[in-house]
Amino acid sequence: MNANMISSTHLREERSLMGQISLFIAKHKNKLLLYLLLSALSIPFLFPFWWMFTSAFKPANDIFAYPLTLLPQTWRLENFAEVFAFQPFARHYFNSLYIAVLVTIGTLIVSSLSGYAFARIRFPGSNLLFLLLLSALMMPTEVTIIPNFTFMQALGLIDTHIPLIILPILGANGVVGTFLMRQYFLGIPIDLEEAGFLDGMTRWGVFWRIALPIARPALVAVTILTFLYSWNSFLEPLVFINNNDLYTLPLSLRSITDEYGQSLWNIQLAATVLTVLPVLLIYAVAQRQVVESFALSGTKG
Amino acid sequence: MHAAQAPRHRRSLARQDAAIGYLFVAPQMIGFFLFVLGPILAVFVFSTQHRDLLTGVVEPAGLANFQTMLQTDRTFPRVLANSLAFTVWLVPLNLCLALLLAFLLTRKLRGMIFFRTLFFAPVITSTVAWVIVWRFLLQGDQGINQFLEGVGIQGPNWLREPNWAMASVIVTRVLKTVGLNMIIFMSALQNIPREYDEAASVDGANGWQIFFRITLPQLAPTILVVMVLTVIGSLQVFDHILLMTNGGPANATSVLIFYIWFQAFRVFDMGYASALAVVLFFIVLTATVIQWVLRQRFIYNER
Amino acid sequence: MKFRKSIFASVFLCFVLLGVVAVSAQDEPINLRYTLWIAADSPQVARFNEIAAAYTAEHPNVTITFESIPFGDYQTDVTLQLSGSNPPDAGWIVEGAARLWVGSGVLTDLGPTLSADDSYNIGDFSESSLSLWSEGDAVYGIPFSTSPFIVLYNRDLFEAAGTPTPDELLATGEWTWESFAAAAKAIADNTEAYGFQSNDAALYTGNFWATLIPIMRGFGGDSWSPDNMCLFNSPGSVAGLQYLHDMIFVDESMVPPGTEVDFYAGNAGMTMGQLSRVNRLAEASFEWSIAPLPTGVNGTQSVIGQAAMVVFNNSQNRDAAIDFVRYMTTQENVARIAQFFPPARESVLNSDALVEANPLIPAELMQSAVIDAIQNGVVLPSSAQFPRIEFLVRPALDEMWVADADIQAITTSICDQINPLLAR
Repeated sequence: MNANMISSTHLREERSLMGQISLFIAKHKNKLLLYLLLSALSIPFLFPFWWMFTSAFKPANDIFAYPLTLLPQTWRLENFAEVFAFQPFARHYFNSLYIAVLVTIGTLIVSSLSGYAFARIRFPGSNLLFLLLLSALMMPTEVTIIPNFTFMQALGLIDTHIPLIILPILGANGVVGTFLMRQYFLGIPIDLEEAGFLDGMTRWGVFWRIALPIARPALVAVTILTFLYSWNSFLEPLVFINNNDLYTLPLSLRSITDEYGQSLWNIQLAATVLTVLPVLLIYAVAQRQVVESFALSGTKG
Repeated sequence: MHAAQAPRHRRSLARQDAAIGYLFVAPQMIGFFLFVLGPILAVFVFSTQHRDLLTGVVEPAGLANFQTMLQTDRTFPRVLANSLAFTVWLVPLNLCLALLLAFLLTRKLRGMIFFRTLFFAPVITSTVAWVIVWRFLLQGDQGINQFLEGVGIQGPNWLREPNWAMASVIVTRVLKTVGLNMIIFMSALQNIPREYDEAASVDGANGWQIFFRITLPQLAPTILVVMVLTVIGSLQVFDHILLMTNGGPANATSVLIFYIWFQAFRVFDMGYASALAVVLFFIVLTATVIQWVLRQRFIYNER
Repeated sequence: MKFRKSIFASVFLCFVLLGVVAVSAQDEPINLRYTLWIAADSPQVARFNEIAAAYTAEHPNVTITFESIPFGDYQTDVTLQLSGSNPPDAGWIVEGAARLWVGSGVLTDLGPTLSADDSYNIGDFSESSLSLWSEGDAVYGIPFSTSPFIVLYNRDLFEAAGTPTPDELLATGEWTWESFAAAAKAIADNTEAYGFQSNDAALYTGNFWATLIPIMRGFGGDSWSPDNMCLFNSPGSVAGLQYLHDMIFVDESMVPPGTEVDFYAGNAGMTMGQLSRVNRLAEASFEWSIAPLPTGVNGTQSVIGQAAMVVFNNSQNRDAAIDFVRYMTTQENVARIAQFFPPARESVLNSDALVEANPLIPAELMQSAVIDAIQNGVVLPSSAQFPRIEFLVRPALDEMWVADADIQAITTSICDQINPLLAR
């Protein structure tokens, strides 16, 4: 019996490469199918990014070259220089950045304060007010944009950045922040805060020293969601900003056309890369937090 | 301390606390009244006026705007039909793909994180960037069609033929947003207790049966909520459409939200645009209420 | 003594202060924002900058910035800017929406200032050129461009296709829309290029009027009559649209929707355009020339695109803006930009210098294709309801640019929709 087993082992080792592969496939059939399916599904997700990044390095003619080239034949770095020469792109970048930072800070302040109050503080009408806020949650900006425009016009704030900063903080996106914070504060054990009261802390103290530090994950979520919302927002800048100097990145990208409105593809794609890259890098690094922030907003909000 | 003083002390503490409460919510609520509730009411008022963006003239118009909308405007029914078609196609496509991806990815296998990252990447990319690339890829004789030509297929003029343009907008929109629903489903799947399907497979049920009889019913509340959220999200595609097709060709991709902006800022008729916004408001309100009711029903039932 | 001294001192100080204020008010720097829809790096804008520099030399506290806004967004962006905190001071308006802007109340009446200035000689502008921009006695815009549409063509492609060029056809009196289509087909069949690309390649996505109107009028049709009756479904218009449709779908000589083809890069045999487009051929890699529009059923015809300079009421520097627009449209400066923009001023139009104005165009060609065409040209359509009309016409046309379109039905539907607007 042993001799037979030993000899059959030898036989197995001597089996052809094809044999070994088919054995492997049979064993891991499901897993391979899975990977195959996932890879097929990932093509429409991967290809646009691939195309964006490689075309940004191609000269204008090569983008239209026939046949389609997956990699640039010549790597043209001048596209990126032209992005900055075409219009004040660096200024637009800075605009988007500082506006997003201000909106994020503002939203953090407003939403943590009101989120905490709705979660922990008893005051008459709090339920009604919160219910009202809920109505803002789903309301698309397009419904309110016309009166907001008229309002801003009356205040003389058209063609300034102020509407781009105030409206996101106090509009639908800010309410999502309040929602998230409230949800998180509700989940904190109340004894911690009561201990603070017993120690003689004021309500403010309890909020600032106890509740807020614990709510750091929610703060991170609000930061990520709000920053991305502001960075990517399009309708408000489109309506409120017409001066090229004041453009934010989405407007800037859109305007990389010739005078007839036809895209200048190589420059536009290079600018797109510059816009998308920082976000993708942060995402790659802080992937888990980013995904969790969105998951929170979807399940709770 | 007297016994009588203690409750008074407590009451004034409670009043103090309430005051702080008001203070804390003040910024949010003031902003809400100024920039959300106020404008919603204003939209109703504006819809009863003729308001011209160019000349600045404002006149009362009664229900004239709504009359135009329902009787004279030939584009409005088209716009509503487009919005409906858009939502009706996008939501199932989005949900099915999200479920499929979530299901495939909630396994302890190597490389799942890579795929999850990839599928979620379009969600955080700006719409402008996403649309710019796709507009290039969907040209009549470049991009994807060049590739198709290589394998002998004559691709349609994706963005210039009405039905294909709508399909292109729907598909590119799904690709952009499916990652979000995917991770919501993933976290829901991970919360399903394993005992049920373990017990079922011990009882001899195969994969499909487990999925349909056990997993899916448990996912049902999440699916319902996500569905309504996606419906509401499908109404907010203004930037995607403006940048991809500008509402064309032949108004094939003009949905309500695009039409509002167009009437306000291209035709300069703010009154009419406000009337359209009122319609949008009611649609969103209905969807939101449905979502809220469903959530109360099912989440409480779950508990 | 001390008291009187202090009185003198304070009075003296007052005068000094007043003087300082007066001087500083005069020297307060003004920057005029002037909007237009052509590229900032075009030779036209370069010429404008030269003129602006000359103005600044005479008025040191005034500088002018020219701001480019793409044509498709121009109306919206200018309107939004006007409602903002930093409105433009002056700019261009195109003829299509002229009546809308003139009647809107946002433009400044330039009549009083310009009529009072004898040296300006406002009478030099013909009544017909000003009619679009006037309301009663008020003049809201000064036309700076009265530019006929011409055919620009690629000689090399004609040679390669072995087909007679437009000027050869003109010489034998055979430059008609039929021979136009035949030439386009010859080029499409025998070369890699398309035969015809629309004006600014904008037929499907931008300003389609510039391509459609010359052709529709060439077949006896039009968009609407002078008394505001829709003519889209007239036999002439339908014939013209069918002609174009056949070029796209039967001959396949005209660039179809969704395909990007650049005449100025040498990829099409002919295109339509105005004089200013000639600059794009300054460094062309091919031999080119221009010709007037082909003759149609009503004989020689000419279609003119007009644009005017206006001053916006919301400008914070209105007087300076009015003066600058005055300066840009004096006889001298109109002659300076005549190379790009055929003048509305009769004196410049009739001058001998005009034929030599554009170094790229030989004098006879300038006379026959451009100057002669201005005299009997008809302007592109205009209406106070232009944005709404365009909004209704464009999707209908979208439906037309498919292989088996019922042009009569589509144009009838257009007329049904726009007649109420035209009647307003």
